Amino acid sequence: MAAAIKTQNLAPVKLIRNVPKEEYYLPGHRTCAGCGPALQYKLVAKAAGPNTIFLGPTGCMYVANASYLCTPYAVPWMHTQITNGGAVASGIEAAYKVLLRKGKREGEFPNIIVMAGDGGSVDIGLQAMSAMMYRGHDALFICYDNEAYANTGIQTSPTTPYGGNTTFTPPGSAIPEGKTLFPKDPPQLVIGAHPAVKYVATASIAYPVDLINKVRKALNVVGPTFLHIHCPCPKGWGFDEAKTVEVARLAIETGMWNMYEWDNGEYRYQFKPKKYKPVREYLKLQNRFAHLSDAHIAKLQAFVDAKVKAKPVPVEAAVPKAN
Amino acid sequence: MAKEMMLSGCASSAQAAKMAKVEVISSYPIRPYTAIMMELSKMVANGELDAEFVHGEGEHGQLSIVLGAAAAGARALTGSSGVGVTYAFENYSPIAGGRIPLQMMIADRALDPPGDFGSEHTDAMSCRDQGWLMGWAETPQEAFDNCLINYRVGEDHRVLLPQFVCQDGYFVSHIPGPVSLPEQSQVDEFLPPYNLPHPLDPKRPVSHGPQIRPDQGTIMDIQRAQAMLDAPAVIREAIDDYNRIFGRKYAPFVEEYMTDDAEIAFFLMGAHTMTARHAVRHLRAKGVKIGLVKLRFVRPWPTEEVAQALSKFKAVGVVETSTSYGGAMRGGNLLHEVRASLYELPQRPLTTSFMAGLGGEMVSLEDFYHMTEVLSKAVREGKTKKTVYWVGFEAED
Repeated sequence: MAAAIKTQNLAPVKLIRNVPKEEYYLPGHRTCAGCGPALQYKLVAKAAGPNTIFLGPTGCMYVANASYLCTPYAVPWMHTQITNGGAVASGIEAAYKVLLRKGKREGEFPNIIVMAGDGGSVDIGLQAMSAMMYRGHDALFICYDNEAYANTGIQTSPTTPYGGNTTFTPPGSAIPEGKTLFPKDPPQLVIGAHPAVKYVATASIAYPVDLINKVRKALNVVGPTFLHIHCPCPKGWGFDEAKTVEVARLAIETGMWNMYEWDNGEYRYQFKPKKYKPVREYLKLQNRFAHLSDAHIAKLQAFVDAKVKAKPVPVEAAVPKAN
Repeated sequence: MAKEMMLSGCASSAQAAKMAKVEVISSYPIRPYTAIMMELSKMVANGELDAEFVHGEGEHGQLSIVLGAAAAGARALTGSSGVGVTYAFENYSPIAGGRIPLQMMIADRALDPPGDFGSEHTDAMSCRDQGWLMGWAETPQEAFDNCLINYRVGEDHRVLLPQFVCQDGYFVSHIPGPVSLPEQSQVDEFLPPYNLPHPLDPKRPVSHGPQIRPDQGTIMDIQRAQAMLDAPAVIREAIDDYNRIFGRKYAPFVEEYMTDDAEIAFFLMGAHTMTARHAVRHLRAKGVKIGLVKLRFVRPWPTEEVAQALSKFKAVGVVETSTSYGGAMRGGNLLHEVRASLYELPQRPLTTSFMAGLGGEMVSLEDFYHMTEVLSKAVREGKTKKTVYWVGFEAED
């Protein structure tokens, strides 16, 4: 409707030592030791800089951060319901369009970033997220994926892997593998059905410079963008909190997580292993998979094999059916 | 000079929103309020109104969109009807508790089941305790006026509350009535620009809605309750200014009609008040000492004004257009509050509720005559037989 007002061009960083020293997600919050989502929040906030408004749908990054009338945010931040991060962001974006147009606010169009967990992105928050993408609002939606409803005590979400032991998918004699379903694919959901979207990428806390540059690239785009960021959760997944980055890297090396950009129709891959390690190496570090039998692991391995061999054609690259 | 037009409630509401210079509008279709958005979308498309018109993905999304917009510093408007109003419910407390003074226009509608598009107050009344200002319009003119009055009161820094601005579906929303459209300069004199104390602005970082401990909850509830306590004085100021600037004669909370020396009265709000006025006039011509009291704000509930207005009658019939299944009065919602308002009086009128106008049914003159008979009988006998009469469905009264 209105002409784009954004003129910023956040420059890419080359090396970790070029990353800005300024923090906009400050220490003193109450996340767990080794928290993957908190680490990515810090990196995203650095990448975005001061002209930013964060929306925090209910989830770990709400409850453990903005707790007890404290705030770790040095930029404007607002809680949203777990349901509606994308819709609240849409309203803020619409407000800035009209306020800048009418001269009621001055300066550069702000970076509007929704920092939603997997549930707030592709489960209960899916409708609002999809609507923001469809309507073409100039905002970045980040799905920080710790593969469970962790804040409420580790319940299964649509991105929990097959075989995951969560408090809603406990393995038992009747259901030995725990979670029986295969996960949703958030970036493909966005790419597949939202013509206003021009940039989607996956990222991981294992590769901070890549993560920062993807955030910046997304923020430089005028229009809706989506990042799916892999954020291991020591408490939820059951691994040593010193190994968050190692687990994140193993996810990529085994093909459980895939790093790519979708830039206006074109796929580019990053950190793609020449030879994938067996998924078992990733699983064995995590208690949530400790109950899996060889047959279950074979099933998960087959799923990953099919996924990493898939041709980068968006609609056809959908997740293969379970069973 | 003001312009006289024949407009439906939806059309007049859209005109009011335009003159309030709303900046972000979020829509989603459901009858009958849809016509408000149809009017506004034309105004935006024609360039008559410089606003962002966002198509919500549902009513929940609609409320979320205007929450974001109003928190960022824009005057925001949304609306709905019936199950749309209840679908958005999650947002009502965060908006009121966040003290974000946006406006939602409701052209009311019966809730399902079964699918019924008729007017009924139950949709909005189900949301009345979340900390929103709330009141019904009797006419398209009042719908227009209530939009401006509610923005002014809600946005006042002594109040800072969102507003449900309600009108009866079809009876008000779709039947044209005379509307006096003021000059823009009059509206500008009455309604200052939107000015939220702590908008989301990177130049002045602020956090909205951090978690609190349980022991921090009560104080926030007290503040929200206090805003409701502070609202009546602000409403009085606004109504005085409105009457002065626009030449109207509104009472802030309760309007009385033919109540001098009346022994019995109807107590009601919204569209059916108009039929009740005619009934009262006809009955007066026959010598029945009857009047009516119209409620303009359900929230904040004007306890003293209601008590004062009703204390002079021998019997009051509360015309309910909403349901409260299993409630203390076995009928609608209003009688609960009416009786609570009267409790401290040394001499209370007899009260009963009349369930009428549910599902969009007409409340006819005959219905009001019938209610009058019930009330007259109660006065003669010195007691009411029941707390609830389902008008038209009672075998014998």
